[in-house]
Amino acid sequence: MSPVDGPGISNPNLPVDQALTERRIPDRSSEQVPELHEVDCPAELRERIEQLMSRYPDRKSASIPALWAVQRLYGWCTPEGIRQAAAVMRVTPAYLESVASFYDLLHTDPVGTHKVAVCTNISCWMRGGDELLDAFRAATSDEDDIFVTGFECLGACDIAPMASIDERYFGPLEAAEAQTAIEQLRGGGEVLPEKALEKRPLPGGPDA
Amino acid sequence: MSGKEINLIIDGREVTATEGEMLHDAAKRGDVEIPVFCYEPKLGEPVGACRMCLVEIEGIPKLQTSCSTPVRDGMVVHTRTDQVKHAQSAVVEFLLVNHPLDCPVCDKGGECPLQDISIGWGPGKSRMTDQKRHFEKPIELSPLVAIDRERCILCYRCVRFSQEVAEDEQLQLLERGDRTFVGTFDDRPYVAPFHGNITDLCPVGALTSYTYRFRARPWDIEQAGSVCTLCPSQCNVSFTVRDEQVKRVLARDNAEVDDGWLCDRGRYGFEMFGAEERVRGPRLRGGGEASWEQAIAKAAEALKAGGAKSAAIVGDASNEEGYLVQRIMREALGSPNVDSRPSRGPSRETQVRLDHPDLSAKVRDIDNADAILVLGTDPLHSSPILDLRIRKAIRRNGAKLAVATEQPTALDGGATAATHYAPGGATLFLSELANCLRLPNEGHASDVAEVLRDAGSVAIVWGDRIAREGEGALTALLDVAAALTLDAKENSGLLEVPEFTNARGLREAGCLPDAGPGLSDTSRALTTISVENARPVGMATEEIRGALESGELKTVLLFGVDPLRDFPDTQAWDRALTAANHVICFSTFENATTAKASVVFPLETHAEKDGTVSHPDGRLQRVRPSASRPGDIRPNWGVLAELSLVLGHDTGVSSQPSAFAALTEAVPFYAGITDADIGGRGIRWQDTPTRANAPKPDEASGTGSSKHSSEAPAEGFEDPVPEALTLGTYRDLWAGPITELNPPLRFLAPQQRVELSIPDADRLGLKSGDEVKVAQNGTSIRARVAVRERVSEGTCFLLEGTAEANANALLGGSPVSVTIEKTAG
Amino acid sequence: MPETRMLLKNAEDPALRTLAGYKGYGGYATLEKAYRELEADEVLKELEESGLRGRGGAGFSMGKKASFLPRGGGVDKYLCCNADESEPGAFKDRELMQRNPHQLIEGIAIAALAAGIGHAFIFIRGEYDSQADILDAAVAEAYEAGYLGKDILGTHRDLELVVHRGAGAYICGEETALLDALEGKRGNPRLKPPFPAVQGLYGGPTLINNVETLSNVPHIVNHGAEWFKGFGTEQSPGTKVVSISGGVRRPGNYEVELGIPTRELIYGLAGGPAEGHEVKAFYPGGSSSPVLTAEEGLDLPYSFEAMAAAGSMLGSGSIIVADDRVSIPHMALRTARFYHHESCGKCTPCREGTNWTVKMLERVVRGEATPMDLDIVASVQENIIGHCLCVLGDSMAMPVGAMVRKFRGEFEQVMAEAGGRPDAERIAVVQGAPETLGAAT
Ligand SMILES: Cc1cc2nc3c(=O)[nH]c(=O)nc-3n(C[C@H](O)[C@H](O)[C@H](O)COP(=O)(O)O)c2cc1C
Ligand code: SF4
Ligand code: FES
Repeated sequence: MSPVDGPGISNPNLPVDQALTERRIPDRSSEQVPELHEVDCPAELRERIEQLMSRYPDRKSASIPALWAVQRLYGWCTPEGIRQAAAVMRVTPAYLESVASFYDLLHTDPVGTHKVAVCTNISCWMRGGDELLDAFRAATSDEDDIFVTGFECLGACDIAPMASIDERYFGPLEAAEAQTAIEQLRGGGEVLPEKALEKRPLPGGPDA
Repeated sequence: MSGKEINLIIDGREVTATEGEMLHDAAKRGDVEIPVFCYEPKLGEPVGACRMCLVEIEGIPKLQTSCSTPVRDGMVVHTRTDQVKHAQSAVVEFLLVNHPLDCPVCDKGGECPLQDISIGWGPGKSRMTDQKRHFEKPIELSPLVAIDRERCILCYRCVRFSQEVAEDEQLQLLERGDRTFVGTFDDRPYVAPFHGNITDLCPVGALTSYTYRFRARPWDIEQAGSVCTLCPSQCNVSFTVRDEQVKRVLARDNAEVDDGWLCDRGRYGFEMFGAEERVRGPRLRGGGEASWEQAIAKAAEALKAGGAKSAAIVGDASNEEGYLVQRIMREALGSPNVDSRPSRGPSRETQVRLDHPDLSAKVRDIDNADAILVLGTDPLHSSPILDLRIRKAIRRNGAKLAVATEQPTALDGGATAATHYAPGGATLFLSELANCLRLPNEGHASDVAEVLRDAGSVAIVWGDRIAREGEGALTALLDVAAALTLDAKENSGLLEVPEFTNARGLREAGCLPDAGPGLSDTSRALTTISVENARPVGMATEEIRGALESGELKTVLLFGVDPLRDFPDTQAWDRALTAANHVICFSTFENATTAKASVVFPLETHAEKDGTVSHPDGRLQRVRPSASRPGDIRPNWGVLAELSLVLGHDTGVSSQPSAFAALTEAVPFYAGITDADIGGRGIRWQDTPTRANAPKPDEASGTGSSKHSSEAPAEGFEDPVPEALTLGTYRDLWAGPITELNPPLRFLAPQQRVELSIPDADRLGLKSGDEVKVAQNGTSIRARVAVRERVSEGTCFLLEGTAEANANALLGGSPVSVTIEKTAG
Repeated sequence: MPETRMLLKNAEDPALRTLAGYKGYGGYATLEKAYRELEADEVLKELEESGLRGRGGAGFSMGKKASFLPRGGGVDKYLCCNADESEPGAFKDRELMQRNPHQLIEGIAIAALAAGIGHAFIFIRGEYDSQADILDAAVAEAYEAGYLGKDILGTHRDLELVVHRGAGAYICGEETALLDALEGKRGNPRLKPPFPAVQGLYGGPTLINNVETLSNVPHIVNHGAEWFKGFGTEQSPGTKVVSISGGVRRPGNYEVELGIPTRELIYGLAGGPAEGHEVKAFYPGGSSSPVLTAEEGLDLPYSFEAMAAAGSMLGSGSIIVADDRVSIPHMALRTARFYHHESCGKCTPCREGTNWTVKMLERVVRGEATPMDLDIVASVQENIIGHCLCVLGDSMAMPVGAMVRKFRGEFEQVMAEAGGRPDAERIAVVQGAPETLGAAT
């Protein structure tokens, strides 16, 4: 593998010439692999990432799982969280941010703790996915810690129109059920039990 | 790479190529141009992203990317069929879908590959009428580089440079699809020592240099080739000149030297040559302007007064300048006291053995070596371009790297073995290594020995600073080389990283206390000298300092050196220069040293100078004048020749060519090498017949230069105070005028910083950022704490050459131990 | 015509998810037989002779691909099960993993045996969180029972199996992008050659197969190639789990013999469009397959060869039905938007071609385009096809190109009528929920 340290390790966080760039804050220049003592990484996060790395022949393979771990801990991939993971994995924070930003499920900007993804792809669109998304948006207010977003095909066209709520699938949904679901989320109760994907039989019924 | 010759047909033409090379390159040699954007072999494996290079290969239904298709014998290729033209114009049209058509106001206009390829291969006009994507218009990617993301065509070049070449992994692609953009972590400025290269790589106007933006247009500039002398790497550069002034520095690809890269020091450093502090003409003590005649007369007078009790120390100088200085000393004044090293170095006989052609590695050997040992230097700071070269060897050729230094280096992460010996412990380490290579043991050196022992070829990149430990370090190094039989192995040998840019050229030109031109034995050379009590063997820099202080020496000529900043033991130097009757300075800038001079002469920079330098691997290179000399600056060879004449000694030098001729006459192994031989690429004397004239170690025996007694290796001497730490110092890439006198680089000027191991920091209750006083019997300097995982316990490190709190203040001849005391949190 | 359930047999039984339940139906017997009694080459031969074709899209012979890997030991070889299933219309792998995870694990273990592989991964799309949990549990059980891990069943054979969750990127389904993602990088496709079978994961020879493909393996090795070839057609042997969605009454997964009439799938099993409506067109193999009109497609046998002959493809075997209410230009826009959003951005034609196409189609449905724009749309598709690094670009260009070609009149009509409508981008969609909301079981 390539050296993970690069040039500049002895020039950490160089101050930036104000004359050329006012906007820059001196101690925030790009950095090499942070050393563990430079980030205060929660023990459980460190252990989790180390355990993940051990599952693969090459530790870099753990970058997506590690970012998942960061997101589970902080709600999104915070710069600090990325630095912590980077220090444990011995890669640069830039590398991890680059990876995170490629994937739709990893958020490099703050999002709500509850996540609602409404499919607006072909099959769901045909059955009212757009309206369902509108309904979810209308049902949530800025106070809510709920992140509502339209999403590409979630692989559940059989229950169109559908939504993924906190990583569980529900459908087919009436626009009206958006309100119910949001209230259940607020109340911390079980969400639309009868619309859970798990509960669906095969369309063709039991074996002949 | 398999060198097998094969034949293929491109556009009906028979083309010969080497098996395995990429179709695009084979076509090029067959004079068939295939347009490319993402393809750049220097960046590693092709990525095949831009799709510009699609061609038709008979037998393969789909078009193939010629940048990534290895040629095969009998291949039949078409690059101008309708199918190919259709693909090429489609790709160009796609590239322009999001690329603004603002060439007239774009800094790249006129030298833009996208512009050229669009005209040559594009559809003529784009059918795209919709909105193009929008980004904040040019913002700073770094204080030196602006990025205009709307112009970016996502060719991957810049990010691949960051990942595959510099390996800083800082510059990345963010987001996905057509939302993708080039950026850094958390929008922080991209600060890394090689980052300027991305402006050369960018095929569009997306990455531009703040130091060049809008300063010139392609039609009112010209390019002038020269050599960068800001560090020993001596990279080949091309100055972009407008109105006889340097506006930009570009890499001038020389695979034997720099691989076509430049560090930011070489790229942006020229901006300091316009500084206020620049010495623009001769002057006498007290700042009084003086005519050249007055100044030269005054200098001659001072030197005459000193006579044989004069000395010269040469640093930033061309071979010819060095040659002339030592002639003034030896022949005009009968003084053997000439040196070109900041403290001391090996004796002549050791030097002769170190420089033996069979033992000297060339830069290219790094590419082909099975194993590389980096010893006593961090190339990143002392010879940056070698850092990239070594990374390339590991990445591309799977070379094994061993690092043995006082301080952690930037290369440690890629090293198979990295050992950090105590400051001053190189001698000890090397002798252990030599033993361990001969019969394996479990000592400190065993890991390093493992890497080197069975390697077919070994390149040792070593810092001449280890000579500060004394002769012993170098004899130990020679012993390691012997244990590895480097002289007998292919692609193997020693490659020195000296402290002075042109150290090799200067010593070969005769600037050593015990060796004349061509490392000739002065005890013989000097028999011709008439002057009484001329000692055959002169004093080394360190001794000159002592002798000036004691009054044994009267006059000192300092050529391109600044002892008060750059040499160990600042106080002692201050005393020495104060005690001296006369100090004559040749200097680029006014500084603490010139303030002590009775005569100051201006130096030319590598953009103005005409002369030769010798790369540490023996390559003679030509520095060519590209820009006009500011103020009343004259060519230094002329000044020295005239000074010698006034001293009553005619060097016969009347022009740069005649100076070069005199040099090649005086140096047996330069004999017959002409300016034409050097040309634009330089020539290693070891690769010419004159190699035979290299001094033989055997004849070097005898002669009392044994005054450089090789003292015992500096062991980890006992600490005077219990919590004392052994101090190591190093010259940071950015310490000195390069950042202080250079507005664009000022932000890089390093603050004094003491690097500590985690255990020591804990023990002393210190954390990164704390302000401390680092003290050594009496003297102390202020610094901020930087805790570092890989600093070994019991040691700490400070920077040399900083404007304030220069670590040289704490240094004496041998390793010192310091105490650290917190002053503020 | 009823379903022919091989992979979905007993799938209604929730107990099938557990090791005990699976073994209750004879699960893992084939693995035991293969590991204990069969030579790797015998297993491989069986797979090759079965003619099993990849179910992930390309339809390449599974056995042949496995035989491309260098035989014997020495190098580290890898198996990647492609469970990224992100193509619009496809949801069969989800069903198979959710209802019968051990069938997949057994298939992976046997395929690994055949190709001498010691390290396997299941790359599952991050959205399939509950399915990934189910796999994690099943894998743990399998390790527990000695079907995975070191010295499997005391045969001195090892197999490590890791369930690797993606993080939301359709492109990771492309086999080389999958490898990059698995190596912890951005999921960009790689240049081919080298092909994964020669140089794949971590540079080692790598076998990449779809979930459904691998789920077939235990059945083939258990009953033999001949038995397997008894199902389906000569060139498309076996059964296929077909995902049917869009304008049908009973959307869902149906397992049928390859080669049955397409009409049977859409009308017979899925119940056809709602009362009073007809099929206008359909994607026979996921959103990447050129749409077929009802006339073109309904009476074709549902097989790799028949779909290819009709200028489309069976692909992942996912049918999306557009009934007579669906506006084709809008469907084209949804399709293009998907590929634009999912393009990795590495190669020019795909990155720029998809975004340009979306912009043009948006003008079409907003009524801000001219017929000449339709020519440009068509020619841009031509400019994409065959010029990209991977086939994602083509996956948009082919269906969109087909729609413009086959429904040009409708495009012009929409351009003419849509003018200024605020809801211009979402008009004309199938209303009403599907019928079979069967009670929980
Ligand atoms: C853009 C793109 C997306 C793909 N997505 C998937 C996928 O989600 N699942 C899958 O099995 N194959 C997918 N494929 C096909 C794979 O590249 C590969 O052919 C397949 O996994 C091989 O397995 P098989 O031979 O068993 O079908 C995709 C291909 C492309 C070009
Ligand atoms: S900034 Fe320039 S070099 Fe970097 S990807 Fe864009 S076009 Fe290429
Ligand atoms: S040059 Fe070949 S794809 Fe870019």
